[in-house]
Amino acid sequence: MASTPAPRTFTDAIRTRPDAALVALLRARPDLATPSPSTLRSLAARASSRTSLERALAHSDARTLQLLEAVLALSDGGPDPVSPERVVAAIGADRVGTETEPTATDAPDARAVVGQMIDAALEAALLWDAGEPGEPDLRPSPGLDEALGPYPAGLGPARPASEQPASLSVTDPAPEGDGQRRTSGDAFPPGAREVLDALAWGPPVGVVPPPGTGPRRAVDALVDAGLLLRSDARHVLLPRDVGLSLRGGRTHRSPELAAPRPEGRTVPAASADSDAVSAALELVRWVDRLIAAWEDEPPPVLRAGGLGVRELRRTAQAIGIDETTAAFVVELAAGAGLVTDDGDAPASYAPTTRADTWDELDDAARWALLVEPWAGSRRTPWQVGSRDEKGNVRAPLSPDLHRPWVPRLRGQVLSVLAEQPGTALGLEDVMTVLRWRTPRAVPPEPAVAGLLREAALLGVTGAGAISAPGRAFLAHVPDHLPGDARSDTALEDALRAVLPLEVEEVLLQGDLTGIVPGRPSMALARLLERAADAESRGAALTVRFTPASVTRALDHGTTADELLGELARRSPVPVPQPLEYLVRDTARRHEALRIGGASSYVRAADPTVLAGLVADPRLASLGLVRLAPTVLAASVPPAELHDALRERGLLSALEGPDGRVLGRLRAVPRVDRSGLGRRGTSSATTSPVTDEGRASLVARLRAADGGISADGWSPTDGWSPADGWSFADGGTPAAASAATGNGADRAGAAVGQTHAAARVAARAGRRGTDDPGEALGLLHDALRDGRRVWVEMVGGTGGLERRELKPLRLDGGRLRALDADREAELTIAVHRIASVSPAPEVEERPAR
Amino acid sequence: MTDGPLIVQSDKSILLEVDHPRGDDARRAIAPFAELERAPEHIHTYRLTNLGLWNARAAGHDAEQVVDTLIEYSRYPVPHALLVDLAETMARYGRLRLVSHPTHGLVLESTDRAVLEEVLKSRRTTGMVGARLDDETVVVHPSERGHLKQVLVKLGWPAEDLAGYVDGEKHPIALSPTTKPRTPNEKAKDWAMRPYQAQAVDGFWHGGSGVVVLPCGAGKTIVGAAAMARSGTTTLILVTNTVSARQWRDELVRRTSLTEDEIGEYSGARKEIKPVTIATYQVLTTRRKGVYTHLELLDARDWGLVVYDEVHLLPAPVFRMTADLQARRRLGLTATLVREDGREDEVFSLIGPKRYDAPWKDIEAQGYIAPADCVEVRLTLPEHERMVYATAEPEDKYRLAACAPGKNRVVERIVASYPDDQVLVIGQYLDQLEELAEHLDAPLITGATTVRERQRLFEAFRSGEISRLVVSKVANFSIDLPEASVAVQVSGSFGSRQEEAQRLGRVMRPKSDGRTAHFYAVVARDTVDQEFAAHRQRFLAEQGYAYRIVDAEDLDAVA
Repeated sequence: MASTPAPRTFTDAIRTRPDAALVALLRARPDLATPSPSTLRSLAARASSRTSLERALAHSDARTLQLLEAVLALSDGGPDPVSPERVVAAIGADRVGTETEPTATDAPDARAVVGQMIDAALEAALLWDAGEPGEPDLRPSPGLDEALGPYPAGLGPARPASEQPASLSVTDPAPEGDGQRRTSGDAFPPGAREVLDALAWGPPVGVVPPPGTGPRRAVDALVDAGLLLRSDARHVLLPRDVGLSLRGGRTHRSPELAAPRPEGRTVPAASADSDAVSAALELVRWVDRLIAAWEDEPPPVLRAGGLGVRELRRTAQAIGIDETTAAFVVELAAGAGLVTDDGDAPASYAPTTRADTWDELDDAARWALLVEPWAGSRRTPWQVGSRDEKGNVRAPLSPDLHRPWVPRLRGQVLSVLAEQPGTALGLEDVMTVLRWRTPRAVPPEPAVAGLLREAALLGVTGAGAISAPGRAFLAHVPDHLPGDARSDTALEDALRAVLPLEVEEVLLQGDLTGIVPGRPSMALARLLERAADAESRGAALTVRFTPASVTRALDHGTTADELLGELARRSPVPVPQPLEYLVRDTARRHEALRIGGASSYVRAADPTVLAGLVADPRLASLGLVRLAPTVLAASVPPAELHDALRERGLLSALEGPDGRVLGRLRAVPRVDRSGLGRRGTSSATTSPVTDEGRASLVARLRAADGGISADGWSPTDGWSPADGWSFADGGTPAAASAATGNGADRAGAAVGQTHAAARVAARAGRRGTDDPGEALGLLHDALRDGRRVWVEMVGGTGGLERRELKPLRLDGGRLRALDADREAELTIAVHRIASVSPAPEVEERPAR
Repeated sequence: MTDGPLIVQSDKSILLEVDHPRGDDARRAIAPFAELERAPEHIHTYRLTNLGLWNARAAGHDAEQVVDTLIEYSRYPVPHALLVDLAETMARYGRLRLVSHPTHGLVLESTDRAVLEEVLKSRRTTGMVGARLDDETVVVHPSERGHLKQVLVKLGWPAEDLAGYVDGEKHPIALSPTTKPRTPNEKAKDWAMRPYQAQAVDGFWHGGSGVVVLPCGAGKTIVGAAAMARSGTTTLILVTNTVSARQWRDELVRRTSLTEDEIGEYSGARKEIKPVTIATYQVLTTRRKGVYTHLELLDARDWGLVVYDEVHLLPAPVFRMTADLQARRRLGLTATLVREDGREDEVFSLIGPKRYDAPWKDIEAQGYIAPADCVEVRLTLPEHERMVYATAEPEDKYRLAACAPGKNRVVERIVASYPDDQVLVIGQYLDQLEELAEHLDAPLITGATTVRERQRLFEAFRSGEISRLVVSKVANFSIDLPEASVAVQVSGSFGSRQEEAQRLGRVMRPKSDGRTAHFYAVVARDTVDQEFAAHRQRFLAEQGYAYRIVDAEDLDAVA
């Protein structure tokens, strides 16, 4: 770049960038690459378009905005180049140390920070450098002034030096030392200084006081002295030069060079981790209960998708949590692929085959299974229960709860917490930091609150601070921050590392309770889950044995002896007598009534007939079982039994359905999800653009730019209107074939064939354009340089018209321009402009 | 992670490992602010409640102390949210104070204007307060002192009552160093307050008003007498029933300088108002044409002290009357703060915070309560009775099960195995009790028995003249049977835990020879009787009394 002359326009600056810098630009502003621009000029145009700038500004933090405002405020057309030193002084970065800390060692740091910010802004093409190498002259990118509003940094309009008053001194009551061009003598009415001070830090617009009052006299005097401008009958403006002077040459009162660090509350790491662990274990248990509940009774899917209000309430009750939390648990389980819409008609939600895998995992692995998909989840469960625009209540699992920005915001929120480990930050604290990070696109508070709550429920945070498992999780967040390395088992290992030791013992007590003084092992937890009701959970587990809970264990096929034996083995004290009685009594009653399955039965008045049947080996296939002396049960259907008995020569009669017991065996509903990997739903949702991709795009753009790279642009490669219409063969085959970018393709398809072919070929070699973005770029350049362009526009009759115009103003979708030939001004709607090409004299660029 | 004896759960329960080397220290440390919920053999469960924490604040403990204690003894990190919540809860007590203003009388003052605004804005406080004196002070109508305190507790901002008390009419009372003989042949004995009783009286007196929690048989009456002596004023004693009233009178005559003439009884039968008056809850709550007819009692004298016996049974109307008695010193006596109607907060606001509490086991360990052996006897019903039971209407089932005829034989066997002991048989259903009395050839006391007859029988039982007594639920409250060493319960009123405490109390008075007391509950197997019994026994187990279950057939082996 050292050999190249200083670029004259923003477009030049883009076009003369080395490839690496272009790649960096595409990385910094990914929206410029989608869809791929066809040429570098259109890239430059797109980079200075309102949409793209707004987007870039929305992602800019407070200090970058300060920098841009400062550069914009300083670029007032004055003779001095806007050097980084001036910017540093304007922002006030040179005083950071001296004002806040007397022993400032960070003043040079602040300068370095501004330097880095400038580099970043140049890279992102928010600024460009119009100076010679070594003498930077920073300029705001075109369009930035519009995007940043009429009064950047609260400063009024700039005016040419010739219109500025010679004196900026106000000798009332006593001048302050910051007037730069001060000559004494002018006396102002009292209050003049106050007026200026009031407007000094913006907004620079003041209302004119009523006539005849003291303030009015002061304002009038200031206007006369050129210190204020009248914008209309009722308002005055503080001009930029006066404003800067009043501010002591600074654009910002206090530089916001570093992100705020909210105080928060200090939380010991042990507290954060133990709270996180309790939350994580609790959550895993909730999901477990959700699967069990939906296994028993799959809730129906609403017609518009999602889970109905009543079903949500029922699910919440089954899990034992409130509905807001239940909505999150449901979403989480669905995100992990544990439950899904079974696709039946009518559809209902049911556990998937993956839920079976879940059963075999330990707590840490289960947690990892839940938390990993959450990293990339775009769901917004906190909106459940609110109403959408149509007034419908948003239901969990409905397609409505899907926002593409959620993963990004999640990463931001967590990174705020991660930057201050050991500190519990509340919603307000996190919002403060987020507001600094993107002042022009502050994330909605309910979403941040929702994400914080989810993080707490998942144990990513504990007691309000990021937890150790939470730090491991950060590595899984898309565009994650430097954190722990990502690996398959890193998540579960991170949780396992902070889980308290497993306890194998349960202390049984005479009041029919049992206490596990710690985290029960999987086997113990399963035993207690089955045989007892949990009373209190946390660091320890308290359970109570009740007839119902013992019945549950017996239902699982455990016998009283097995259960007591198991408990005795796990209890350091003998099983208390009341518990033994409870188990035995329950077992006795449990077995009093017995149920079995049979397909048909035989009953007879004479027991001897039946005795013969059971013993008959020929009837073994009927599965006859003697239930009572006069009743046999068979495992075959009545008809078959009937036939078999007839064959044996026994006369039997079929009984009617009255009193017949039908055992209905219900299959547990499962939806096959075996085709899906155990993990990986999250990685599929993001497809990051790689630097290789960006580099190849840059190469294509270069080629489309007619082989004119930053290093070899030939001004003699002329273009005239006549040329353009003569089916010129100026385009080399290579260039023509390179012009297959999206823009060119689209243009080719849009316009009539012959003309299109000609124009594509022409454009490939020349610099006229019908790409709308590029055309706007050309118009902007022309506007800025005061040059003329050839504009092809759709006329009132639908035909194309070509005129040579000098653009005067381009905004609000309209171009105002001067037609030099006809000596008339005209206004054209931008969408009627078919193509733009530089007028010939542009070529006569003076060599530098 | 330290190896502490406590595990603090996020649901605000605290588990204490009893056998831990530091278990005793931990228990003493958390006793002021945590309520003991159950105390089985190995691990006791305490609970942090708002009232408990406010009680601790009232006793001068601050949040920092509480937090430090939990952290010091906890085995695992204490949930952060719990600590924060705990500190916030404790900070709520005392933000509002009721004080006596030199010129404006009773005022509510606060150092926190926002809190005062909040409670004054509440509709529930309207009409209770008068003019606003300044940002932090508002006049309170003296008649609304109690109601206001009630409301403030409900609003979550309990007020500290520092407004003091009226002195009351002086009436010297002293504890006598020797007991006065009850019968001519009885000798006067030396006696002195037990250390925990003295602590309880001190705790109460320094606190102003409040509740002393002592187990049955731990001598609550003596605490009451000592408080009266400390006060030295006329005293109104409110008790549950007439028998209890007589017992109070006897105890007071026996152990203080008061004579029979100084003590009046205000009950259904007699309406005496004397310097020390003992009234029953029943007479106070009697209404005629919707009007409480005996309210004048409360103003009949300038009482310096009001004693409430069995606070956990205090009927709702008495709360309302008590609300008007806030200027007088109040002492509540009870075995448990647990009320089955959940009105613990009214006890807190109207009588006062807990001033003394000692776990049963401690007092038992000191030898002041007899150790008890609790046995549940399970009786398998014969076939035909089971059929009758199985087909009975649900509302009759309990009665059928409770009155199973087989129980009589079981009771006989139990009673027979204690030939030398004083045995009480307690039940719910009269016909069953009558039958039992006949079987055992023992006198029966029911609600129909006259007070005179009752006292005669009690006296005979006490002196050992008779050794068997069958009683209905009249025995539940405040009868004093010092020598009953065996109690047999044949039927209870469903599953009341209170009742179980009272009945156990019957046998847990200290025995002269230190014998073990026995408590039998006879239960019909596989019936609702067993379910109710399980509920009642949970209380026993939670109080640390391990109970055994014995089949009726195996009874001989046990007894």
